[in-house]
Amino acid sequence: MTPFSVELPGAFFPMLLAVAETSDSGQVARIIESLERNLLTPIPLCFVLGIICTRIHGGIKIPKELYLSITIFLLMSIGFIGGHELAHEYRLNGIGTVWKPALATLFLGCLTPIICYCVLRYVGRLSIANSAGIAAHYGSTSAVTYAVANSFVEHSHHPANSFLPTLVTILECPGIAVALVLGAWLSGKERAKKAVDTGVPARESRLGEALYEVITGQSIMLMAGLLVIGFIATTFLSESETKAFDPFYEFFNTKGMIFKGVLCIFLLEMGLVAGERLSDLVKVGPFLLAFGVLMPLANGFLAAYFGHMAGLNLGGCTVFAAIVASASYIAAPPAVRLTLPEANPTLSITAALAITFPFNIAFGIPIYYEMARWLGAT
Amino acid sequence: MQLYPLKLVSVVGETVIMEEIAQRALGFGATGFSMIEISNGRGSRSARNVNLTGEAKTMKLEFVVSMEIAEKIVKYVSQEYFEDYACIAWLSDVQVMRGEQYAE
Repeated sequence: MTPFSVELPGAFFPMLLAVAETSDSGQVARIIESLERNLLTPIPLCFVLGIICTRIHGGIKIPKELYLSITIFLLMSIGFIGGHELAHEYRLNGIGTVWKPALATLFLGCLTPIICYCVLRYVGRLSIANSAGIAAHYGSTSAVTYAVANSFVEHSHHPANSFLPTLVTILECPGIAVALVLGAWLSGKERAKKAVDTGVPARESRLGEALYEVITGQSIMLMAGLLVIGFIATTFLSESETKAFDPFYEFFNTKGMIFKGVLCIFLLEMGLVAGERLSDLVKVGPFLLAFGVLMPLANGFLAAYFGHMAGLNLGGCTVFAAIVASASYIAAPPAVRLTLPEANPTLSITAALAITFPFNIAFGIPIYYEMARWLGAT
Repeated sequence: MQLYPLKLVSVVGETVIMEEIAQRALGFGATGFSMIEISNGRGSRSARNVNLTGEAKTMKLEFVVSMEIAEKIVKYVSQEYFEDYACIAWLSDVQVMRGEQYAE
C-alpha cells in the first residue's frame, strides 16, 4: 500500500490495522523503541517530575519571573534560528522548498479548527461557545511541543528540515482567528436572538480586540520578530563578518546546551501546572478525554500526509505533525476569554494542558514519527 | 489640613478584563487608577481565570472618584462582566487630601 493510493481521512485506521494484522514484530519493536527513545530523555522526564511533585505536594517552585524569562528565551531562540536557517535555505534553493510547506501550514491552520469545532459540536454536543473555544486552542500550536519534537528527531538521527520554525510561526495565528470568528459569529446570532426575546441589549463583540491581542501577543512578536532578525543578520552579518555572528548563533542555538537545559526547566514548570490540572480531568468528561488524545492523532496524521506531499523529510514530517497536533495554552486562552466569555476555560485548558500536551510529549511524537515513516517520508 | 470625602471603587477580577474596565472608567471621568496583581486567592468562579503561566490571574483595580462616577463604574462592571467573568466590585468611603484633584 503506497501512501498516495489511500484516501483521507480513512488512512489512519488502515495504518493501525496494518500494524496489528501483520503482527510484524519489527514494526512493533520499532514503535516501542521510538517510545523509549522519547520517554527516557531528560526533557520529558522533567515534565513527569513536575507532575509527580504536584501530586505529592512536593516543594519544587519555579519563580514566576524565571519562568517568564525562560519563555522569552525559548521563543527568541526558535525565531532567531528559524530565520537563520530560512536565510540559508533561501540562499540555496530560493523559495522552492519552502512555499509548499508554508501553504500546507496555512491550509491546515484553517482546516483543523473547523474539524475540531464540528467534532465537538456535532459529536460531543458541546455548546457553540465551548466548541469554538476548544477549537481555537487546537487550531493553534505549542512552541514547546515543537522544541521537544525537534529534540526527538535529532536524537533519532533524522533532523527536521531547517525551516520548520517558520512553519511554527505561521501556524500560531490562523487557527485561533478562524475558530474565534466562527464562534463569535454563531454565538453572536444566539445572543442577538436572546436580546430580542428578553429586551436586554446584547453584549458587544470583542472579537477585534481579541484578534489584535493574538497578533501582537508575546508569542507572535518574539517568534516572528526574531525570525526576521535572524534572517537579516544571517544574510548581511554572517557573510561580511563571520565571527561577529557566531556569539548570537551559539547563544540561541536550539541544538545547543543552553536551549536544551532551559527546556528542561520549562518542562518541569509545565509538569507542575499540568499536575494541578489533573484533578480537573474528572470534570471534563469521557468525550473530552478521548478528544484530547484522538484529535491530535487525527490532526497529526493529516499533517504528516500533507507535509510529505509538500516535500518535508522524515524529521520534518514528524515535527510538522507534532505542531499541528498540539494545542495552544498561552496565546489562545486570553483571546477565547475575551471573545467567548460563555466558554468554560476549564474544558479547553484541561484538554490542551492536562490531556493533549502530556500525550504528545510522551507518546504522540514517536507515533507521528512512525506515521511519517509509514507514509513513506525519508 | 482639609480632607475631602470621596468614594474608593475597588474591582477584583480576571486579568483579561481589567484594562478595558480601567479605560472605560477613565472615560466616565475617573482621573486615574491603580492596578495591583493579586498573587493568590480563590472565589466561587475563580476556576474561570485563564492566565495560567506566570502572569497573575487576578488583578485589583482601584479608583478614587466622586459618587456619580463611582455609580457609573460599578453599573458598567456589573452589566458587562458579572455574568460571564469572575469579578467583584465594591465601594468604600475615603477621606482624601487634595480632593480638588479628583473633582469632575
